[in-house]
Parts: sequence; structure tokens; C-alpha cells
Amino acid sequence: MIIKGGIVYDPANGIYGDEMDLFIDKGRMVEAAKGEEIDARGLLVMPGGVDAHSHIAGKKVNTGRIMRPDDARIGTEPRTAVCRPSTGYTVPNCYAMGYRYARMGYTTAFEAATPILEARHTHEELEEIPIIDKGALTLFGNNWQVMECVRDKDLTKLAAYVAWGLRAAKGYGVKIVNPGGGEAWGFGGNVKSQNDIVPNFDVTPAEIIVGLAKANEMLNLPHSIHLHFNNLGKPGNYTTAIETLDLLKDLKPSRMRQVVHVAHMQFSAYGGTSWRDFESKAPAIADYFNCHNHATMDMGQLLFGSATTMTADAPLEYGNARLTHNKWSNHDIELEESSGVVPMVYNRKMLVNAVQWAIGLELALLVKDPWKVLMTTDHPNGSPFVNYPEVITLLMSKPKRDLEMATLHEQVPKRTTLAGMEREMDWTDIAIMTRAAPARVLGLEDKGHLGPGADGDVSIYDLRPEEVDTSLDHVLVKKALANAKYTIKGGVVVSKEGQILATPPGRTFWVDAAVPQADTDRLMVDLEEKFAKYYSIQIANYAVQDAYLPHAQIIRAGLPVLSEVA
Amino acid sequence: MRTITIAPKNAFRISVEAENISTDKFAPLTLSQINSLVVWQGNRQKTLSDLFTVEGDDAPATTEETTIKLIGDYSQVKRIGEGMTAGVVEVQGNVGMHAGNNMKGGLLSIAGNADDWLAREMRGGKVIVMGNAGNYLGGGYRGEKCGMRGGEIEVRGNAGAYLGEHLCGGSIRILGDAGDFPGAANQGGTIFIGGSTYLPGAEMSKGTITVKGEAKVLPSFLKTEIVQVDGLAFQKYTGDNVDNGKGELMVGVGSS
Amino acid sequence: MSEAIMIRDAVCSFCGCLCDDINVEVEDGKIQRVRHACRLGSSKIMGHARIQSPMIRKNGVLVAASFQEAYDKAAEILLAAAKPLLYGWASTSCEAAKKGILLAEEVGGVLDSTATVCHGPSVIGIEEKGLPGATLGQVKNRADTIVFWGCNPAEAHPRHSLRYSSNSCGKFTPEGREGRKIIVVDVRETKTSKNADKFIRICPGSDYEVISALRMLIAGKGESVPDEVGGVLKADLADIAATLKAAKFGAVFFGLGITHSRGRYKNIDNALSLVAELNSHSKFVIMPMRGHYNVGGIGQVLAWSSGYPMSVDFTRGGPYFNPGETSACDLLARRDVDAALIIAADAVSNFPRATAKALAGIPVIQIDPYENPTTLLSDVVIPSAIAGVEVEGTAYRMDGLALRLRKMVDCSLPSDEDILMGILESVHKQRQMTANEGA
Repeated sequence: MIIKGGIVYDPANGIYGDEMDLFIDKGRMVEAAKGEEIDARGLLVMPGGVDAHSHIAGKKVNTGRIMRPDDARIGTEPRTAVCRPSTGYTVPNCYAMGYRYARMGYTTAFEAATPILEARHTHEELEEIPIIDKGALTLFGNNWQVMECVRDKDLTKLAAYVAWGLRAAKGYGVKIVNPGGGEAWGFGGNVKSQNDIVPNFDVTPAEIIVGLAKANEMLNLPHSIHLHFNNLGKPGNYTTAIETLDLLKDLKPSRMRQVVHVAHMQFSAYGGTSWRDFESKAPAIADYFNCHNHATMDMGQLLFGSATTMTADAPLEYGNARLTHNKWSNHDIELEESSGVVPMVYNRKMLVNAVQWAIGLELALLVKDPWKVLMTTDHPNGSPFVNYPEVITLLMSKPKRDLEMATLHEQVPKRTTLAGMEREMDWTDIAIMTRAAPARVLGLEDKGHLGPGADGDVSIYDLRPEEVDTSLDHVLVKKALANAKYTIKGGVVVSKEGQILATPPGRTFWVDAAVPQADTDRLMVDLEEKFAKYYSIQIANYAVQDAYLPHAQIIRAGLPVLSEVA
Repeated sequence: MRTITIAPKNAFRISVEAENISTDKFAPLTLSQINSLVVWQGNRQKTLSDLFTVEGDDAPATTEETTIKLIGDYSQVKRIGEGMTAGVVEVQGNVGMHAGNNMKGGLLSIAGNADDWLAREMRGGKVIVMGNAGNYLGGGYRGEKCGMRGGEIEVRGNAGAYLGEHLCGGSIRILGDAGDFPGAANQGGTIFIGGSTYLPGAEMSKGTITVKGEAKVLPSFLKTEIVQVDGLAFQKYTGDNVDNGKGELMVGVGSS
Repeated sequence: MSEAIMIRDAVCSFCGCLCDDINVEVEDGKIQRVRHACRLGSSKIMGHARIQSPMIRKNGVLVAASFQEAYDKAAEILLAAAKPLLYGWASTSCEAAKKGILLAEEVGGVLDSTATVCHGPSVIGIEEKGLPGATLGQVKNRADTIVFWGCNPAEAHPRHSLRYSSNSCGKFTPEGREGRKIIVVDVRETKTSKNADKFIRICPGSDYEVISALRMLIAGKGESVPDEVGGVLKADLADIAATLKAAKFGAVFFGLGITHSRGRYKNIDNALSLVAELNSHSKFVIMPMRGHYNVGGIGQVLAWSSGYPMSVDFTRGGPYFNPGETSACDLLARRDVDAALIIAADAVSNFPRATAKALAGIPVIQIDPYENPTTLLSDVVIPSAIAGVEVEGTAYRMDGLALRLRKMVDCSLPSDEDILMGILESVHKQRQMTANEGA
């Protein structure tokens, strides 16, 4: 395939709006190729979009669907010759997820939180999502085995468990959600800071985070730890964020990447002592990121309208449900995690919601280096992913932000710094935040760029970067971003002007990390006891069988010597 | 005033979905255009004229000036008058499920009985049923917080269970008995039941429910005073206190 | 004679407990012995008389046919129907469910599971309030207070108590039954209530009122609660409320006794609120006691495929869901279907008699390993291999946990999945032929 004459933004390869031809052969970018020609003359061309943090598959997503037929009926599209039927807005069915990502020019999305015990379910759903490539992060932050290794300061056993857990879950990386809080929630409690003792386990969240970060680097995993802070969603929580980040600043990464990725920063950049004096602390957080290089974040942008909050932070969800008097699902996972789901409507006239909206944008605009900030809405917590074009245009257009600001609660300019912010992002910034940076943060070498050998994932938009004024023409830009002119996945045109043309199955990435057998042997003694006494299933039935990943893409990692031998 | 008369050509074994039979859809169309409107019978997409005879004035009119007369048996025809904003739909016999769904204005009158989900999520206008109504009269859709938000429904006969579930506004008047759980999660609407019912107002937070006949009342309602309305005595309750509700429930005090 | 093979830690595909510690001894391709399973599971795994061959009804009599003939006839019936119902799905694998959903989309039918006659009201309740739940191991390790409401696991889920609930031992529950308070609420004494510390007998149909009274008492608003609710003295209810509030970790398990008594989904709706509110005082979870082993699985697969967990109407191409309208029982009661495919369920025995009678008036396709009353009125009968005994697959436990079913022995019959694919291919073929004739 030849993509002719596009204005290409491929920041990972130092290409910032150059007119050039692109070539794809056997699903990969190459130097030259023949075949189908796509006319992209003068049009915006970027690598396929990469979403590094989205809740797209597994028990809590399906729980969201089951408790929200009111949501499912919103997005109904009948079956076609190519497509299965679509339903849902904040919690779309699997097919709609694939089609809607592809329509926007996205070709990769990672599920952000899966307990090992329920990973089989996650993979059943991932496999059912058409077109896009996927992966799932595995939850470790409230796991008994993890906490015991950390308590015993047995880092090699911890690393062996992380490797074992990733293999059992066919998971991609280490996710930590409100560490210790999920265990405390097992008896209805929570932890109030990173230095609290986790009940019954004699460890602190800080120790869990540092232990897992060290194990992560010991295993040379492609992705860093992926952290949802303690106290997320609470006024005044920015100090928890900064203090926790500071715990990790001297750790050496094992690869050219961050040591910690912060999930949905917006929800952890809050000042004030209550919802009454709630205010943005985005500037303090942005300062920290500007002065340090060990951390990246994704925005977790909130948009007004309907959302479905879902997280492994179960006590947070109970609070949400009580506060909003809304329906509440909870799901605790034995020995591993807890989680919750609560529908939500964000209202622009509600001061708290309006300030939250501003905080996400402030963070992205105040952090100088776009490689440190990924564009997300923490789908569907802040807003469903179909609204990414709205977020992108807000970042690119001050007039659009001003228009929005004028409709919000009048206190917003006092509680945030957004009103005075002049910065307007350009296509290079956007290509980094939606393509190059998420791929680099995840450690996906063949994603997020268009160099030779990269996956043949390309999005082409009906926008002329050399003509369109992204500041003034934000309506036009948003419309063009919603439906790519072409989305090419692995060298196949999957979507054209919003119409799905092909639905190839996507691959699922997982990480197989090698560890010394002696460490695994020591670990198995512990695990066999846990299964004999505490788990409700047998160890033989625990790990996800290969049958669930017919399109697996295994990434090798682990102790360098061992992985070379392997 | 433009009047269009429709009659089924046959009895329907498999139910028909006919959301296009509404004043808003008919108003701007000629008769031949109306004839080719889509209706569904199971998985078969058909035109209105495949299943019904259509007669009346050919010239388009405004919605306000449009009247649709339905002659014959419509008990297997669903979604009649869905979303209508004005005009009149007059059903001379029985009508199937979801008549007047999401209705915003105008009049839907039914001479016979109405099936379940009559005027689901209604926002305005008026519905009159001379016979009985089924379950979920003026109710909502599964999982939604609000059912009916406005308008008026009057049923001269009896109504089924769960009437006015999640009622957020408007008024429902049943002259006969009502089934179980009328006005559950009522958030501000008004319900009158001429006959008897069972467990009215469960989890209601606002609004009023008046039951002239007998009613089994939940243990979470607080009995207050006896009040006289139009010469009749009612026991007043407030609730539902499980949710600190501020609703008002009045139950007739044995007129015998 | 070949050596006996021991299959260890297999999953029992009988009830929603999905016990996964079953050891099975296989010799000469036959199951000789089943260890660890309860008598219900054991009897399922050991098996009994099977349908031997596909059959098609001709002149009123079922006569043997080939699989292809049966697939073709089934496809013909489904294609001729304006509103076919595809019902059952609770006792087969998720892999079969996926193919069934595809078939329902393809022929424009309504797909519903046996949930419609068991925990359908629970699903509607969950749509109102959400489900505060947990995996069963969480209950095993932590629960010091357990309520069984309208269910009788001692008879219906025999190993539930030992593996997951009353008598199980875990990290924070080393004393097992000794350290727990067990409360049973039911309209009659049961085997389960005999093992309880407290049995509350309520009047039939009074579940909702009793729950409302408990909510009032738990919130400290008991003064206005009448002296007796649902046949239970206020003092007894106050006692229960105090026990629930004092729990370190409480679990409520509920069954058909509450979902199918007067009030139906409203009862569950109220129970879910009760549990949500209890979490302000103690830790509490609630979960339905699912009967058929994979009735949870069809709900999960249907939800991620269509957005809805049961009663999905695909007749107009886009999924539509409205139990009471699109549910199997209601459709049949209204005679609003014109063909039915019944798979892995005995509709005739499950449905109310009048509803089952409606099946007699329309063409019926049955896919099942066993003959049952539904066979008697079926026009096409296709015997299948048994998921979890003869074929692999996925099932979801009552707490939503996915487990891999094992294959224990070979079977010459096709799986449910294969059969559905056979019908689907025949649907495509017949459609193509019609299109060609038209051209």
C-alpha cells in the first residue's frame, strides 16, 4: 500500500508536518512498496492512535453494561453486512468499542485494570473487540502475596510473583490501584495516606508501591508501574500525589522510559479541605512534572454529560454512590482486589464538576513536555472515549475553551488557572499525546510511529494542516477527528469516513518475564498454601489458558541473562 | 382539520411495531407517502399499506391539525403515537404496548384497553383510556431514573402493576383498581387511584399518591393525621422513610 | 483393558457453584468414578440415557435423520419465521452462546436464557440499584454473618456451604461454622434453616415489607415500624438488624423464594438497597444463588455482545431489551413468536403450563444431549455432546468468575457450538440459494 502526499506527523521519528509518501507491506511500515494507492495529498496523516488507559473489557465493564440498559439503548446501531450490532454510549458493547476506536483513527487500546483471578473474563471480551490491538494491565496493589513479600522485604520473590501473575493473567504490566485500600475495603475500611498501615498485613501503601516499582525494574518490563494514587478523587489529595511520586524519584528505570506512570492525574490534583473549598492544584502537580523526569501521566479529562465510573478503588465508588444517591455495584476479589461501578452525570453548572473539567486541561497545558502527558478521559470515568475529539480541540483552541468557560459555574476562574492560559497545542503536540507518547510509555516499540518496521497503523484525516486554523476552526477540526478519512490497521483500510469496511481481529499483547527458577520455587510454596487454604478455586484452574488468546503477541522480558537464553 | 383513518387488513399473529403511526410523522406527508412509511412485523420490514388500509385527506397539514383514527383491533400493534407533539390519535378499540411512548403533546384517546407501557416516559399531552390499562402505565425504561415527566393520563377502568414507576412529574388518574407498587420511586408526580391497590409509593421521595379505596401500606410510611378531601376522610402518611422521602400518601378511611 | 486415567481438578458443570476440585476416573473412554462431587454433580457427570441420532418430525412422528438434514431443516424453520425465539443457554458453554447470538442476529430472532424463569427479576433489580457483590472466596475468608433469603442451598447447591459459605474456613474465619452467625429467611422450614442460628419465617409475599422494616431499623428509624411485619415480631426484626449491623463482613445469598414471590424484582431492588445501606455500618455483599451452571455465563456473553444480559430482541437488527415484552415467557404467553430453538434447557418443564402450550403450536428445534418433555413437541431434535464432560468450554460461576470446563471423555456427537455453526452455515447456504433464484 502507498499513502501518497500526506502531511505527516510522526514525532517519534522527528517528522513534524512534512509532505511525504508512506508505504506498507505485509502489515508493516516499509521504505517502499507497491499496491493500493491512497490519496492523502495535503491531508493530516498520523500513526494510528494509542490509548494507554481505558476500561474496555472485563468484569467491571460488563457490570456497567448489565446495570445500565439505560446507557445501552443510547448507541444502538443495527447489524450490517460488515458489522455486528452496536449499543451503548459510556459502556458500549465489544463490537462498538472496536468500530468507534477505528472510526476515530485509533488502532490500539489498553484495558487499565484486571485482577488475575478474573483475567479469563477480560480476555474473553478483549478477543471479542474487533480491529484494534489490545492488552490488559494486571492489578497487584492489594494482593496478599505482594503484601507479604513486601512485608518480608523479599524482593526476588516479589519479582517472581509479578512474573508469575502476569503469565497467569496474560497481562501486560503492573497496575496499582489505591494500594492497601482495596484490602482494607475487604472489611469496609480504607487507608487514608500512603503511610497508613494496611490492616492485617503490616505494610504501608508506600512500601507496596516502592516494592512493586523495584520488582518492575528488576524484571525489565516494557511498561513501568501504572499507579492510581491513594486518596484519589478527594479534596486536598495533591499532596498524596506529590509525596508518592517523591518516593520513586531516585529509582533507576531498566529501560528508556519513566519509572512510574500516573493514571488519570486529573482525579489526584485537587486542593481544598472539602468539596466546599475545593480547588485546582494542577499548577503544583505540573511544576512537579516539569522539574522531574521519572514520571508520566495521562489526563483523565472529565467532560460534561454522562459517564460510568468504574475502578478497582472500591471505597471511592461507595463514596460516589452515597454522594450522588446513584446505583452502586461493588465486586471484591478474594486475596487480590476490590472494585466498584457507579453511573455519573457531570454538570457544567456544578462547581466541583466544572473545576474537575478545568483541571484536566490545566495539567496538559501546564506540563511543558507533551511526552509526559497522554490524552485520555479514563474511559468511561471522565467521559466515553468517543469524545476524544472534544478534548483535542479544547487543547488546540483557546477560543473554544473561552466559549466553554462562559457556560460554566462562575467560580471556575477563581478556583483554577485555566482562564489565563494562552497555550494552544499544535499537531505535533497532539500526535505525541495520542500516539507517540502512549506507545513509548507502554513500551510498545512498533506502535505510535511510522518508521520502517512499525505496525502499518495509519490514520488520515480530512484536514489540511497547512490551511486549517485549529484555533478558530475548532468545530471543523472536531468533526474531522471524529471520523477519520481513512483508518488503516495493519495495512488494511478498516474505516473510511466513518464507515467500517473491514473487521480483522486485533492482537493481544502480554508480557512473559523470565525469573530464576529458584525464586519461582520459593514462591510456589507460598502460592500452593494460599490455594489450599484461601482461594475458592484450585491452582490448576487459575491461569488463563492459551485458548483465550488466539491472537496473542508475546513480549519477552525478565532478568536480562535469562531472557536472552529464553 | 385533516383526518386520516387506518384499519388493519388482517388480524396480526406476530405483533407489529408501528412508531410511524403518529401525527408528527403523518402531518407533512401525502396519502401515498403515508402508505409507504415503514412498519415492522417481527424481522420483516413492511410498508404501512402492506398491513393497513389508509384513507383520508391527501393534502399535508400541520401536526396540530392532524387527527388519526384507528379502526379495528390494534392490540397487537405497538408504539402508536410514539413521540407525538400535537394533534389527535383516536383508537376506537384496544391498543398494543408502548402507545404514546415519550409523548410530548396532543391527545391519545383509547376507547378500549391499553396494553403495558402505555405512555412510557411521557413528557406532555394527554392520554385517555376508557377501558383498562396494563402494567407500567406512565413508567420508565429499565434502569432509567425517570419515567413519566409531564402530561396527564386518565384510565376509566383498572390499571396493572408498577404504574407511574419513577414518576418525575405529571399526573395519573385511575378510576378503578391499580396493581401492585403504584408510584414506586415517585419523584414528584401525582397519582390518584379510585379503587384499591397494594404497597403504593415504595421509595417515593416526593409527589402525592391518593388511594380512595383500600391499600396495604408499607411499614416505612409514617402515619400522620386524618384529612377531609371533598367530604371524604383520608388517612395521611409521609414517606417512604427508608430513603427519607417527603412524599404524601393518602388512603381512604373506610367509606362504609 | 487400558489403564484408568485420573482427571484432577475438573469443573463440575451442574449448578452455579462450579466446584473445580472434581477428580474423575476414566477407563476405556468411560467415566468410572467421580470424586468430591455432590450427588447432583456426580449424577450429571456419570450421565444417563442419551438421544442417539438427530430426528425430524415427519407425519407427526420423529424419524432418524442425518446431522446435515437436521441442520437444513432447522435453518429452513428459522428462515421462515418472522420472530423466532432462541431459548435456553444455561447449561451449555459460553462458546456455544457466542454462536447462538450470531445465529439470532443472522435470522433476526429473540434470544433469551432460563434466567427469565429464575433470576430475571434479580437482573431487573440490579438495573435499578447495582449489585454490591464479591467473589465467593471473599465470603469464605471474611464472612462472620451470612443470610440465606428464600434459598435452600443444602438441597440445591449441596457443596456451597462447605466450599464457600456457612461451613467454609479461611484466613479470617479459621473457626468455620463456629465463628459465624447464620440467618435464614424463608416462608417454610428447610434443610438450610435447620443449620441456622436464627430462622425467620415470613408470610408468603411479604419480603418487600420485611426488608423495608429492616432498612428502617438499621437506619435507627424503628420507632414508626409496626409491631409485626410480614408475620415477624418487631423485636425479632430489631434483633436481626442489630446482628447485621454488628457484622465484620456479612453476605446475603438469595434465591427463587424472593425473586418469584409477590413483588418480584422490587424485592431484589429493596434487598440491594438494604445491603448498600448496611455498608455504612459494616461490610456487606449480596449475590443470587444461580441454579444452572452457566446461566451466569450466557448473561455475561450476551451483555458484552449486545449490551443486555437476557431477553434480547434482534428482530430489527439493533438489539432491543425490555423484559416483560422481549422475555421468552411473555412472548409465548402472547403467542408472539412463530418458531423456537430450545437449547440446553427443558422449556416445557420450566415454563408455566399455558406458556409451554404455546410451543406446541409452532415449529420447535431442540438441541440437547437428553430427551425431555420438550422433545415430545419438537420438530427437529439434534443431540449434542455435553459441555464440561465431553467438550471444553467456558462457564461463569454464580459470583461471575469464569472457569475453563474440561473435556473428560470423547463423544461422537458434535458440540452445541458445532451444531449452531452447522445451522448457521445452512442459513447462509439457503439464503444464497434464494438470492440466486431471485436474480
